[in-house]
Amino acid sequence: MSIELNTNDGHVTITNEVIATIAGGAAVECYGIVGMASRSQIRDGIAEILKKENFLRGVVVRQEENHLHIDMYIIVSYGTKISEVAHNVQSQVKYTLHQSLGLSIDSVNIYIQGVRVTMD
Amino acid sequence: MTVEKLDGVTFAQMVLSGAHHLTNNAKRIDALNVFPVPDGDTGTNMNLSMTSGANEVKKLNSNNISEVADAFAKGLLMGARGNSGVILSQIFRGFSRGMEKKSTLTAKGLANAIDSGVASAYKAVMKPVEGTILTVAKDAAKEAVEVAQKENDVIALMEDVVKEAKASLKRTPDLLPVLKEVGVVDSGGQGLVTIYEGFLAALKGEALPESNADIDMEEMVNAEHHKSAHDFMDTADIEFGYCTEFMIKFEADKLSKNPFNEEEFRNELSEHGDSLLVVSDDDIIKVHVHAEYPGTCMTLGQRYGSLTNMKIENMREQHTALVDEANNRNEPKEKTEYAIVTVAMGSGLTELFESLGASVVIEGGQTMNPSTKDITDAIKQANAQNVLILPNNKNIIMAADQAADLAEENVEVVPTSTIPQGISALLAFHPQADIAANKKTMDEAGKLVKTGQVTYAVRDTQIDGLTIENGNFMGIADGKIKASHQDKLEVTKLLLQEMVSDDDEILTVLQGEDSEDEEVKALVTYIEDVYENIEIEVHKGNQPVYSYIFSVE
Repeated sequence: MSIELNTNDGHVTITNEVIATIAGGAAVECYGIVGMASRSQIRDGIAEILKKENFLRGVVVRQEENHLHIDMYIIVSYGTKISEVAHNVQSQVKYTLHQSLGLSIDSVNIYIQGVRVTMD
Repeated sequence: MTVEKLDGVTFAQMVLSGAHHLTNNAKRIDALNVFPVPDGDTGTNMNLSMTSGANEVKKLNSNNISEVADAFAKGLLMGARGNSGVILSQIFRGFSRGMEKKSTLTAKGLANAIDSGVASAYKAVMKPVEGTILTVAKDAAKEAVEVAQKENDVIALMEDVVKEAKASLKRTPDLLPVLKEVGVVDSGGQGLVTIYEGFLAALKGEALPESNADIDMEEMVNAEHHKSAHDFMDTADIEFGYCTEFMIKFEADKLSKNPFNEEEFRNELSEHGDSLLVVSDDDIIKVHVHAEYPGTCMTLGQRYGSLTNMKIENMREQHTALVDEANNRNEPKEKTEYAIVTVAMGSGLTELFESLGASVVIEGGQTMNPSTKDITDAIKQANAQNVLILPNNKNIIMAADQAADLAEENVEVVPTSTIPQGISALLAFHPQADIAANKKTMDEAGKLVKTGQVTYAVRDTQIDGLTIENGNFMGIADGKIKASHQDKLEVTKLLLQEMVSDDDEILTVLQGEDSEDEEVKALVTYIEDVYENIEIEVHKGNQPVYSYIFSVE
């Protein structure tokens, strides 16, 4: 699946991978996120924190008619206000996608898949 | 005065003073907010987070610093708002952990707690962005740890922390490009500096000014402009046309009639425009506003005193001028760094060279060599400091050399003797390398390519062991005649047999003006059948004299 844009000079095709990559990149820059989690985690029961190169597995881009929805599976740091971290991710992903692709996203759904507790 | 032990009561005062100072400066911090999302809420968010922390501290009545810090961290966590708020909550969560349940803190203990706050703040982020509140906190903590080695006075320590935090804040634009572009320091970092300043003031028992002149008005104006630049693309979309800045010097008799209230004044102005900034101290008010009627705003200001440093700019005109500038390319060109001048015959070849980056293509080639003057003129026309010439013909190299000698510019000739060599050399051009290096690599690239040409004989001759009759076609490989035949396609096949080897990967066909498309199709089919591994590219060169020019690599 991909997004088609018509411009005066021709067509632009943006694949979902591009959207997911940008969304993932914006998310990991957010404070409080310690990792992206695999979305299939519930199924296989392993809470793995994805390495940087495959954090795309934690981002799902869904297109329903003309609406774009993004699901993100993240792991947050213990001791942060989780709702606020999630909210920051939502607004940053929305903003970054708008800036780089001019896309408006209808929803950014955040699934907190885990909390990482570190010794401090 | 020195303080060697920091207790809970003093720390609680520090927190309250920090929160109070942040509240006073929240609007200004909002104005600086351009990263990560320029929504202008960093100051507000930090203020709400900090207030929540301060409220927890107020509820608690303890002289145990560890308990006070715990309450503060808890309040921050519950009230954390926005990215900066969450980071702040982490910094002080780590801070409270770093105290190890001590009831008072020495300078060293305080430094360790600050340091531990930063460590735990960095742990909670996958990809820390430097040039933000995190960097400011880190630099300040590092300073604290160093100073605590030999300093026992908590006040002196905090003074150094504030100093270093401010210095670090000043460096944020160097670390984060978006800040530099807009010309502001990081808003979250500014928030932290403000909190630390509040801490220090409480330690010293000093009162802080209501407004902080440290935050540069210039910076805030830049940030406001940056934000509103995102809002419109068309000149017609500018709602408030005049960027207006002025200062009001308070006058006592006017103030007695109209007491000044910053909040009210700001609200009043906001009805007349946007991108509003109002900063005041005891003597002066600075105002920046985008308004449709600047006079109205100034009149409002005059109630409090006299106007100075007025500046009004018509933003619609500025915007139109910017758009015009972008559209107008006929202005005298500035010399570019590099230009490439080349020689070719035929509309297709000219286009091909231009599309590959040649600045000027002189018409010429076999049977029509350009003169030295033609080349000198082309060098002038190219209007560059460094010019590379690709003659693409043996007979033109000398004229090119002469033109290079005559030119004032830095000119080098890459001695290409065929069109394919010229194309190959042009593709090897590297704008970042210097002209001598370019000449060398382009020359080498040109030599790597094999050139084939198909043309017809204008008289009977014997050459290279071949007998050629007038009107026959000849196949020439790198200057040597390899085949001759009455039939053009036949000659072409013979030529390709001589030229193409197993190592070759790409065959480019430049179709001459006398070659029909049908014939080219037949040729391509033939090549595809015989040379399975080779990739074929066909361009219409429309060159005269040569029915085909081949380039084989």
